[in-house]
Amino acid sequence: MKTIIIGLGNPILTDDGVGVKVAQQLEEIIDRDAHPELTITEASVGGLRLMETLLGFDRVVLIDAYYLNEETTIPGTIHHLTLYDLRSVSPTQHSTSAHDTSLVTALDAADKMGYKVPRECRIYAIEVENILEFSETPTPAVAKVIPIVTEQIITELSLKIR
Amino acid sequence: MERITIDPITRLEGHGKIEIFLDKKGNVENAYLQIPELRGFEQFSIGRPAEEMPRITNRICGVCPEAHHMAATKALDALFDVEPAPVVKKLRELFYSSFYVTDHSVHFYALGGPDFILGPDSDPAERNILGVIHKVGVDIGIQVIECRKRNHEVIKILGGRAIHPVAGLPGGWSRAMTKEEQKTILGWAKENVDFALFTLKIFDDIVLANQAYVDLIVSDAFTHETYYMGTVDEKNQINFYDGLIRVTGPDGKEFVKYPAKDYAKHIAERVEPWSYLKFPYLKDVGWKGFVDGVDSGVYCATPLSRFNAADGMATPKAQEHFERFYETLGSTKSNGRYSPIHHRLATHWARIIELLYAAERMQELVEDPEITDPNVRPIITNTPTEGIGSVEAPRGTLTHHYKTDENGILTDVNLIVGTTNNNAPIAMSIKKAAKGLIKNGEVSEGLLNTIEMAFRNYDPCMSCATHSLPGQMPLEIQIHDADGNLIVTQSQYID
Repeated sequence: MKTIIIGLGNPILTDDGVGVKVAQQLEEIIDRDAHPELTITEASVGGLRLMETLLGFDRVVLIDAYYLNEETTIPGTIHHLTLYDLRSVSPTQHSTSAHDTSLVTALDAADKMGYKVPRECRIYAIEVENILEFSETPTPAVAKVIPIVTEQIITELSLKIR
Repeated sequence: MERITIDPITRLEGHGKIEIFLDKKGNVENAYLQIPELRGFEQFSIGRPAEEMPRITNRICGVCPEAHHMAATKALDALFDVEPAPVVKKLRELFYSSFYVTDHSVHFYALGGPDFILGPDSDPAERNILGVIHKVGVDIGIQVIECRKRNHEVIKILGGRAIHPVAGLPGGWSRAMTKEEQKTILGWAKENVDFALFTLKIFDDIVLANQAYVDLIVSDAFTHETYYMGTVDEKNQINFYDGLIRVTGPDGKEFVKYPAKDYAKHIAERVEPWSYLKFPYLKDVGWKGFVDGVDSGVYCATPLSRFNAADGMATPKAQEHFERFYETLGSTKSNGRYSPIHHRLATHWARIIELLYAAERMQELVEDPEITDPNVRPIITNTPTEGIGSVEAPRGTLTHHYKTDENGILTDVNLIVGTTNNNAPIAMSIKKAAKGLIKNGEVSEGLLNTIEMAFRNYDPCMSCATHSLPGQMPLEIQIHDADGNLIVTQSQYID
């Protein structure tokens, strides 16, 4: 099964880059020879451009920061979401700019146009604390879960490590 | 109006939040777009080697990484005092033109265009790329995606990496183009020209052929008379990559023309207590508030602004459309210049003529035999001190300014990004739209739609680079009475 794992977010915006850091860890430890149909990458884009990256794959795994209401959030909490969930989650403060469209809309459009969109989509959404300050270092609560999410993906996709 | 100072914390809550303040009679006194600020970029950069900036700054923004990459690379040319070879300039401009094709086409088909293609009163849930496909057909959607795909491939080939390019070096470009790549890209450039012409045809058929839309474009509700900024070549024609910054007045006269390095002599930034984002204005005119006219230093930097600031376009087909644009909208020509068009919604039309220009320019550049010259990496010998670089980002003039110590380690960083230029004009457009729909405390139907149209034509890029889930922007409007009390909140998703 052609699979793409994408770490999303801005790697220089504190917790926003948590997905990118997970992807980088996977890149380091996965035995690539054992998985010729696996692509691991990172992207600081959303919407249309992200959709275009996914075309042609059977399965996609996205890892992204999840910014919730300041009063109720527990940074470091890992959510397992599907595209269906994305349609219904409440808006957060930080999302795509006005110069883009949502991933769900973009994928729906691609599907309608007859492109091969992934049949299976797993999303690892990690609750974050700080996505407004430039820094390469995530906050401690978020940094702590990077190896946990990495491990979860390895287990769920039955990946071989080097 | 009561002076409202919004607590910095509450200000961060609303992304793309519009605040409207009413006077005692319940009429609009002021309206602003509130944007959360990303903090600490300067501190993040200081202490790093300057040559990392093209790769760092392209992470600031997930929408236009190529524009930051290019402005940063040009700032390094200046910093290390090295003049790029002609082949380097051509490769960079080719890369940059390809980026423009992707960026302007997505705005027309997926973002701003739906307001027209589906109509300003259509359901917001339909007013997106899905709705466009439904209305104009799946084949057009495929053309849009294929256009983006081939240009992303160009960006990858020339920029060294998909999405976040890495090729920019002080005075150089990290890799030369092979003859085979030249052939492939030439084919794509020609397809881009066809695609742009086809897009203009759609605009003709759907927008210009519909008198109601033309009336809307030229209506007073979406008109502002301000100064206009754009980069021009030696013939005063639009150039996205390089040239002098030209500013023309609301009367159409050239106000000033200067090299990017002099930006601080001409541009000042107004700070308002209620906004993180500064409001740039023309120093020599002065800040007179959020008002139109020749005495107000407010300027605009958009596709429409580039049109008004220039005398024409450098490629033949785009020039034809440039002339048609002005003549259709009732401009008069004197001394080789068209009188400016102040209708903000005409920006959508200007944007797709720029799309045609970018496509034609790509073809010109890739056909140039010199483009495959392998000498793209100069040796740097000068000691760095200070450098300023600027390009036309799709949504406005983008300036990077760096200072370093003698080892090239950054000591100071200042960026004026595209959307910031338009901060005051956006506020003015929102205010005008709101004024028409809020009378004596009564809010009419369609406020959100109209306001959305008013600011969307600027193609604002607000949240540089973060794409935390769920990746959708709620547009929220808050209306405050004369005492600052919140009286109405409306919201809908921009999709």
